Amino acid sequence: MVRSAIASATLALALGVGLPAAQAQEKVVTIGAHMPLTGSLARSGQTFNEGMQVALRMCNAASPKVQVKVDVIDDESTPAKAVSAVEKLASSGSVAIIGGYGSNIVGPASDASDKLGKVYITAGAVSDELTQRGLKTFFRINNNAGYQKGIATLLIDLKPQAVSIIASTKEAPTLLAQGLEKDLAAKGIKVTVHKFDPAITDFKPIINKIKLQDKPDIIMMSAYENDYVGIIRAAKVLKPQVKLMVGTWSLATPKMYTEFPDLMNNVVGTSFLPFPVEVKSEEGRKFAAAYQDMYKKEIEYLATLSFVETTLLCEAIQRAAEAGTLDKGGLADEMRKTDRDTMLGRVQFDQTGDNPNFALSMGQHREGKIVLVSPKAAATGDIAYPAVPW
Amino acid sequence: MTELILQALFSGVLIGSVYALVALGLALAFGAMRIINLAHGELVLLAAYMAYLVESRTGLEPYAAIPLALAVVSAVSIALFMLVNMIRDHRELNSLILTFAIGIILTNAILLAFASDMRTTTSAFLQDAVSFGDVYAMRGEIIAFALSLVLMGLLWWWLKASWYGRAVRAVSSNRGAAMLMGINPTRIETVSFLVAGALASFAGVALYTMSVVQPAVGHALTVKAFIITVLAGVGSIPGVFLGAVLLGVTEALTVTLASSALQELAGMVLFLMVLFLMPNGLFGARARRG
Amino acid sequence: MSDTASSRLLSGRSLAMAGGLVVVGLLPLAAGASPYMLGLLISSLILAGLGLSWALLGNLGGMVSFGHAAFFGVGSYASALLAAKLGVPVLLAIPLAGGVATLSSLAMLPALRLSGPYFALAILAYAQIFRILATEASWLTGGAAGLQRFPGLPTVFGFNFAERHGSYVLVLGMVVLCALIYVVIRRSYVGIALRAIAESEDATRVVGVNSTLLKTWMLMLSAFIAGMFGALNAHIIGFLEPDYAFSGIWSVMPIIGAVFGGYRSVIGPVFGAVVIYMFDQVIAKSLIPVGHQILLGIVLAGMVLLAPNGLAGLVGRIFSRTGGKHHARA
Repeated sequence: MVRSAIASATLALALGVGLPAAQAQEKVVTIGAHMPLTGSLARSGQTFNEGMQVALRMCNAASPKVQVKVDVIDDESTPAKAVSAVEKLASSGSVAIIGGYGSNIVGPASDASDKLGKVYITAGAVSDELTQRGLKTFFRINNNAGYQKGIATLLIDLKPQAVSIIASTKEAPTLLAQGLEKDLAAKGIKVTVHKFDPAITDFKPIINKIKLQDKPDIIMMSAYENDYVGIIRAAKVLKPQVKLMVGTWSLATPKMYTEFPDLMNNVVGTSFLPFPVEVKSEEGRKFAAAYQDMYKKEIEYLATLSFVETTLLCEAIQRAAEAGTLDKGGLADEMRKTDRDTMLGRVQFDQTGDNPNFALSMGQHREGKIVLVSPKAAATGDIAYPAVPW
Repeated sequence: MTELILQALFSGVLIGSVYALVALGLALAFGAMRIINLAHGELVLLAAYMAYLVESRTGLEPYAAIPLALAVVSAVSIALFMLVNMIRDHRELNSLILTFAIGIILTNAILLAFASDMRTTTSAFLQDAVSFGDVYAMRGEIIAFALSLVLMGLLWWWLKASWYGRAVRAVSSNRGAAMLMGINPTRIETVSFLVAGALASFAGVALYTMSVVQPAVGHALTVKAFIITVLAGVGSIPGVFLGAVLLGVTEALTVTLASSALQELAGMVLFLMVLFLMPNGLFGARARRG
Repeated sequence: MSDTASSRLLSGRSLAMAGGLVVVGLLPLAAGASPYMLGLLISSLILAGLGLSWALLGNLGGMVSFGHAAFFGVGSYASALLAAKLGVPVLLAIPLAGGVATLSSLAMLPALRLSGPYFALAILAYAQIFRILATEASWLTGGAAGLQRFPGLPTVFGFNFAERHGSYVLVLGMVVLCALIYVVIRRSYVGIALRAIAESEDATRVVGVNSTLLKTWMLMLSAFIAGMFGALNAHIIGFLEPDYAFSGIWSVMPIIGAVFGGYRSVIGPVFGAVVIYMFDQVIAKSLIPVGHQILLGIVLAGMVLLAPNGLAGLVGRIFSRTGGKHHARA
């Protein structure tokens, strides 16, 4: 009841119903975004886009004086097209850019944005190099260190003897695997890393090596959606004597459980929301309701990331517009003043534009629900351990 | 170690049998017309999406999609042949570019129709584990393996025993002579593409039951099919099967003995070695050098 | 585009063509194109250069490659590493990178004996192998994480190549230069011999033409040009990773552009790449935001079926009544 009431209220706000007076004096500000809408990362790009759209509706409804709208361009996951997109967006009047997916895209695109003096924010690029460039207009809410910290905390708490990491040779999974290998080895845990080419489809030979040679307590998957399915399927067939399957992005999501109920039970992945959504914050509840209303599905991991980055940007724009500094390059300063609790926890930006507070919780699939199991402060339940999908 | 290698060999043979299904259609069209159909992987992909469509809409097992896949993919395959047949000059080069273009069209059509989400079967029956002593497989893989053997047997018999089959072989070995014998090459080539489309249908459904599909994988399937055709040499059905299994086993052993990051590398190196050192393929009879 | 052997390698006509190309190429600058437009044009000219390199191999060497990404990627990594690790000046590193790409092409010499599709896909296999090697050799290339901090294009005599206008002029100049090299070779004895080989390899062998040697030269030259454009692109973009440097795009787009423009002419691949890329990015993308490549596929298929000699062939058919011989052959 309450949820549907909120949903319809949000819808009403979003449609601008009941706000005729405000429209007369509203100021419209445009921001730009480039996302991979085609190619192998298209799904991620579309989910980002959804979170962004919801954020703008809510942000605009909350502060009707300054209306923020977004132009989205498909960057096709190619750096040159992302750079072109930034230039096009800047020349058509965007005051800031929301970045795409992958450090290879975000690196050159944020360089271009910096040259044009436009604030650039991303939730899809985790490489450490990005924040070492000294850009004044670059911001991001998540980073490799945060993923690493979230997963390492869980793994170290479980005190395993040995962990096997299966890592895609793509950029972000490689970085994460390297970081985890270091963290776990420092705690005296035996770590074996198995790198795989993303073109691979049969994971049985890798799992069999893990089963017969490594004999770990935990298998950690540093990979993407389609890899998880292949890996867990292979593990289900070979049944290695492990106590837990852990993964990272886009794994502990309701969607994965709906699509692959036989594979996901007891699997752990990075998450920040339990499911059914027991969002403690008012904002999280509104987001979930509005998302359900617009896209007829439960909120997803990437949508939440882009919701948070877009909300922060939108609010900074509104502050700058109110203060009259938006046209005078005041947006970056307003961004740097950000200090706010979000669905990702507290967000601040340091001098490099990074969010030093970023650390993820870990969620476990449990019979269609997702229980937050780590870190202890955020947990909504105890971890099932040992527990595997088979 | 023995156990590891046994499992690698077993997995390699199973995955190889599906590679063989993917490659057969390409090899057949190539044998009949000297045309590499660079959209073949997309035909397979199209069939896989038909399986997804049927499974997600009706809740039936993916193999129930075979009739639909056969109808759709064969129709597309025939349409593709008719376009290729319109080429007048520089047939070899222009057909490569044309079929490549059709591959781009199909990939994007699938993207527009089905979005970019990854798809694979959710059937518990097909995903269950079965074991033979110390080696394990998914039930879907065993079924695909059996299907591949049966289809290959049928194709072999068809090429050897039926009038059409002999006509296909006659056209592929000497088009001019076949015409003199009263065989209409266009009709025979149409039949080859029809059969290639049918094989792609089965391959696609089988692939959907044991692997993850996305709109972008069509091109990789074509490349794999071509590699197998090269390993096999032209005009040998058992060769295609053995070539495919060799590729599957090489990949699995690379993972077991070295690193899974090198799996693709091993396949490519095998391809080049056979190409350079055994110009007729491992099992074929005809030369491929210009 | 007469086929008669000319002792003057650079006829007035081809110089006029080059001059025309420069003038047309400079129009966007004169018209005050936005950085966005210039960025798109730079990307399209990079593809044009690659297209020239592809067409040179296809037209003069008779070899269709499906893996020009191999040379492009080697060139981009070579230049970035030379500049970042050895401190070689960028404008020197670019031709050196072309040299490294040429060296890498020597690994492909066994493939020269292969015909048609076999050669095409053998080169594709090399591109894949190089990509995996670049991923694995992380001590040198940074592996999957990529290379980010290497020098961009420099400022020379107060002219800033790193800035959009400067980059554009540099890339345009390189394309024109490579087109001229292509013309010179086409008109030379080598070009005539190569075209004779394309007609009948056996016959030319009897006359004493060493076809393998000539094909080797063409492969090396094609690799050199592709490598240089890879290097240029790397310094303009400022980021490299194996999946990007050896991406299939670098193999595919030049083919589409060259076929569209007409790969048997010199100007065709350049023109085709620019038109196709701009069409895709400016028009197709606004019509179908997701999946706009479907229009590229349709255009490519339509060109092969309806105008196999590309735009250049179409234009030729319209303007020259005496061009019958040319069309009959191509």
